[in-house]
Amino acid sequence: MAGAVAGTFLSWENMIYVADFLKAAGERHVSLLGGEPTLHPECVDFILYLLERDFEVTVFTNGILSHARLEEFRRHLTEVHPGRLNLVCNLNHPGQTPSTPKETKKILRFLAIMGPWVTLGFNIYRPDFALDFLFDVINRFGLKRHLRLGIAHPIPGQKTGFVRPEDMRQVAERLYAYRPYFDGLRISPGLDCGFPICQFTDEELGWLHRFKSPVIFGCQPALDISPDMSIYHCFPFSQYLRKSLFEFDSLRQVEEHFIQVKKQIKTEIPGIYPECDGCQAQEDGVCSGGGLCQILNRFIWEEPIRISEIEHELAKYRLSP
Amino acid sequence: MNWPSIVCPHNPSLFRTFTGLTVVVRVPHSAQAAEAAAQLLESGNELLCVIVESGSPFDEIDLPADLQSIPLAVMTPALGKFRHLVRSISRLRDFNLRVYLPAHNPQNIAGLRILSSLGIHTCAVLGNGPKDWEALTDLMTYAVLGRAPHASMEPFVFIASNYDPHAYLEWGSLYFNDPRRFLHVDADGRVALSPAELRQKRFVASSWAKIGTSSLSLTIQQRVQKWRQFFANNHPCASCSGWKICLGKFASEMNKNGGCRAFFLEMSEVCQQYKEQNKPAMKPHIWQL
Repeated sequence: MAGAVAGTFLSWENMIYVADFLKAAGERHVSLLGGEPTLHPECVDFILYLLERDFEVTVFTNGILSHARLEEFRRHLTEVHPGRLNLVCNLNHPGQTPSTPKETKKILRFLAIMGPWVTLGFNIYRPDFALDFLFDVINRFGLKRHLRLGIAHPIPGQKTGFVRPEDMRQVAERLYAYRPYFDGLRISPGLDCGFPICQFTDEELGWLHRFKSPVIFGCQPALDISPDMSIYHCFPFSQYLRKSLFEFDSLRQVEEHFIQVKKQIKTEIPGIYPECDGCQAQEDGVCSGGGLCQILNRFIWEEPIRISEIEHELAKYRLSP
Repeated sequence: MNWPSIVCPHNPSLFRTFTGLTVVVRVPHSAQAAEAAAQLLESGNELLCVIVESGSPFDEIDLPADLQSIPLAVMTPALGKFRHLVRSISRLRDFNLRVYLPAHNPQNIAGLRILSSLGIHTCAVLGNGPKDWEALTDLMTYAVLGRAPHASMEPFVFIASNYDPHAYLEWGSLYFNDPRRFLHVDADGRVALSPAELRQKRFVASSWAKIGTSSLSLTIQQRVQKWRQFFANNHPCASCSGWKICLGKFASEMNKNGGCRAFFLEMSEVCQQYKEQNKPAMKPHIWQL
């Protein structure tokens, strides 16, 4: 919604176009992402508009809002039923990845005012992650009793920190170690895309499946739309195979396109582990063999030996080494 | 012959001077609209609609529930903040209302689309000032061909619905600016042919009682055929491909960048497409019980 480049904001016209596009497909849910969507000058108006169009709205934010913007949120969004508006606030561990005192103060102020509308999110980017502080924050500010857990994925072509396939089991174990907290405080865990099912024991899987929201070990197109109306598979794919939304007549066409992209990549490598090739869970559609971005990231650092469509796209976006 | 409707200010003594006419009443504030409508009906005339000519943005105009059954044309300079407007949107959907917004800036062009997408009927006021014809083309395409459900947006839907490639199309009546349909009367009963001439006090008759006289009919006739001047003067508009829809309404812009030409050309194509889409259903090929 608010692009990485300053001043590239989604316009009203494009926002209405997207709303119409999704409505025509029977979608009931819209997520607003960034950059940081709350930086958009008309963020509050966009949220209210989408709610008026009968969408449920999720806003992904870092929670660092100016006084003025937070006041707008308080005045105009606190009348919305929390079931219709979800503010996903991603927090970093205060010890492992500390924010500045100024940022922390703003985040706490945001949580204090918008608490009932906030779901905490946490991005796991190292195997020794810690979740303790999140339970405390959820209780202290009366947040939604759900914790959204994502894995830090590689952004193909960029040397960013991410959880490597060999560390996934450790991540699963560590997550399960927090079960007493989740159960005791009645907080449900929600796994974002890219977790491979084989890295969880049956006991762990049984626990995860006890919660209301289904646990999906897949990597489906999230379909991110940028302010310039480019559409891509998901955030890590923002520089790979972008298309314009205007090239499609329906959401179904978009989905079919990105399923083809996925198939193309997975024909080359089925998953993040060698065992993914021929894996029953993958054949049954229960698991995607890790994140597609993990797979694509492998292509970038190897010799150009993949099928021409993939190599062509990698070259187009200067993703080849 | 059908006499034109009268557009007049809210003035009960003026209302009482005529009877049996179809009248549009102008009020400066929405608070006067209900009273104006009631007094007009009491005078034995028929109400076409009440025009609220407000200087405030739409989000600041209070439209109370007692206006719900009154046909309203709200003329406002801007939409205002959506966050203020959103509280009344669902209520306004039940009103017999059309919102007029000048389409001379990006905010209002977006505002027209916002209102229409939320089920509020609108009309883009295409004045004589500079316009972003490209943005208007997008707006017009949305209004006429947009597949998502939305309220009508004039003048685009009117033009598309009434377009005939072999005939001229006059759509000034959407703005009460067509002397065949509307004559404008001031508080003293004097008659002008258009809203602009009323503002400039350029009257063609000293009393509304002249309506229907042969001299006023002739004046109206001459005004309606004023477009002929474009041909007599060999004006570029007369040879423009958009002429049949535009009829030289934006002649002053034609000489600048000709943005109106591209717009009306696109408009005529959109109209063709609209006609195709709205053709009466063909008889089914299969037998039916």
